Amino acid sequence: MRLLPYAAVVVLLCASATIAQTPDLAQRQAEAAAALAERQEEETVLAEGEGRSEVFGYCTACHNTALIRRSAFTRERWDELMDWMAEKHGMNPLEGEFRDTIVDYLARHYGPLTRGPRGGNPFLN
Amino acid sequence: MAHQNPSERSVQELYRDDPERADALVWGRRGALQGAALAAMGAALGGSIPFARNMPSGLVPAALAQGANQPQFLQMEGKAPLILQGERPLNAETPEHLLDDPVTPADKFFIRNNGSVPDTVADARAWKIRIDGEVNTPLELTIAELEQRFEIVTRKLQMECGGNGRSGFSPQAAGNQWGNGAISNAEWTGVRLHDVLRAAGVKDGAKFTGQHGADSHLSAQGPAISRGMRIEKAMDEDTLICFRMNGAAIPQMHGAPARLVVPGWPGSLSQKWFTRLEVLNKPHTGRGMGGTSYRIPVRPIVPGSRNNGADFVDMESMPVRSVLSSHAHGTRLPAGTRSLDIRGHAWAGDLSVRDVHVSTDFGQSWQAMQVAAPPNRHAWQRWQGRIALPSDGYYEIWYRATDSNGRMQPHVAANWNPQGYGANPISRVAILIG
Repeated sequence: MRLLPYAAVVVLLCASATIAQTPDLAQRQAEAAAALAERQEEETVLAEGEGRSEVFGYCTACHNTALIRRSAFTRERWDELMDWMAEKHGMNPLEGEFRDTIVDYLARHYGPLTRGPRGGNPFLN
Repeated sequence: MAHQNPSERSVQELYRDDPERADALVWGRRGALQGAALAAMGAALGGSIPFARNMPSGLVPAALAQGANQPQFLQMEGKAPLILQGERPLNAETPEHLLDDPVTPADKFFIRNNGSVPDTVADARAWKIRIDGEVNTPLELTIAELEQRFEIVTRKLQMECGGNGRSGFSPQAAGNQWGNGAISNAEWTGVRLHDVLRAAGVKDGAKFTGQHGADSHLSAQGPAISRGMRIEKAMDEDTLICFRMNGAAIPQMHGAPARLVVPGWPGSLSQKWFTRLEVLNKPHTGRGMGGTSYRIPVRPIVPGSRNNGADFVDMESMPVRSVLSSHAHGTRLPAGTRSLDIRGHAWAGDLSVRDVHVSTDFGQSWQAMQVAAPPNRHAWQRWQGRIALPSDGYYEIWYRATDSNGRMQPHVAANWNPQGYGANPISRVAILIG
């Protein structure tokens, strides 16, 4: 008969222990997120080619290469994104030859995966 | 990129490297899968294809529709192995089969960041939230004061990234290539924004809001994101200033210690690490407003074309969508399995879901599932049912929800836009019997 109150106490203790751990877990998650963000990448994670060093150096000042590697855009879309990052995300505007180097590299190595079985959209040609 | 003779590669390799070309080659002009091509496809998939006659040309079999890069998974204490979309900013998607809980637990809640995750705060109850702008009495209240002064409510609320489903767009749209897993349905506790705004006294000219949080942009210049909504949505009884999730403190990844929750609208409105809400007499101009950000075309544009979004409109209520949570994509079942009980969830922004239909013959016939009522408005709904499988072999379960206005998930992502919002095509899970 005495077990029930004990069980209740144990449950309460467990519950409060869970709550007490929450700030620690929060701290560890914040640190884990920071560690992920700071994880060093090698330039070679990007496709080899002219302009890779420039792309790696310039782009990873803000974000890691996952954003590049997952992308598959035409040269025009890449070029448009350079303006978008400058206008919306405080990137130093890219101009002239340096811009060409970056955009050419991205379009060459991270271009559209395919034009599709019918050669892409007829209204874009 | 090498121009090899396709016959030198297996069907699987061909699909992995160049799915659309593989599809065209395998299906041929007449769109019928026959003879050697059918056998090769079956071999690549690991079984026969019972409904091969109905497989439409141009649709890559779901089992092969993954890119050459296998997904990477998040490893973080307190989080399930979510699909890692990127480390900086940190973004991770919940695989559909981990969305089976009626209330999404913290470990299975997707992660979406625009900037850096802030440090934790020592005293959560002293965290301050400011309400100002077009109000009679600007307020600055701690969480403790909010709890004391206003009615505390608890609701199950769906929260979904505005870009959920983006990977459905062709050509590719810019941003995280989400499948359907940037969705959650946690139980949130907080106070109604409506009650707080009433206490501040909203002026007659108030039309919009502007939200602010403590996370900084990755460039360390300014805030990560600051979005706003029409005042009507701010006054909705389900728009809450929350300080608890699933009965516990809000996890750090999800906006501790206070988060705005704006259910059914793009998740970016649900400001994490919430510090301030401005009431405005014109649309907000924060980072993430205007142009093509969280905005969709009114007049459909050519997919892949350039557009500055000047005549787009802000995305508001999210479109109808469903997940299948009982079986993972790629599930293998014992030979002789002839029926399967399946289930998942469906939701539709501010609306509710009327129907969910399932097809196992590539869309030729559809079967109605049972759909439960939501436990409260803005909560997702459980769907379930039993499907028949006439033989061993490869199947795709296609599932499609219909909202309370009768709009269905389309066969392909509609209304293409540069940053990829609103893609909600029918989803497909591949299973193999035997």
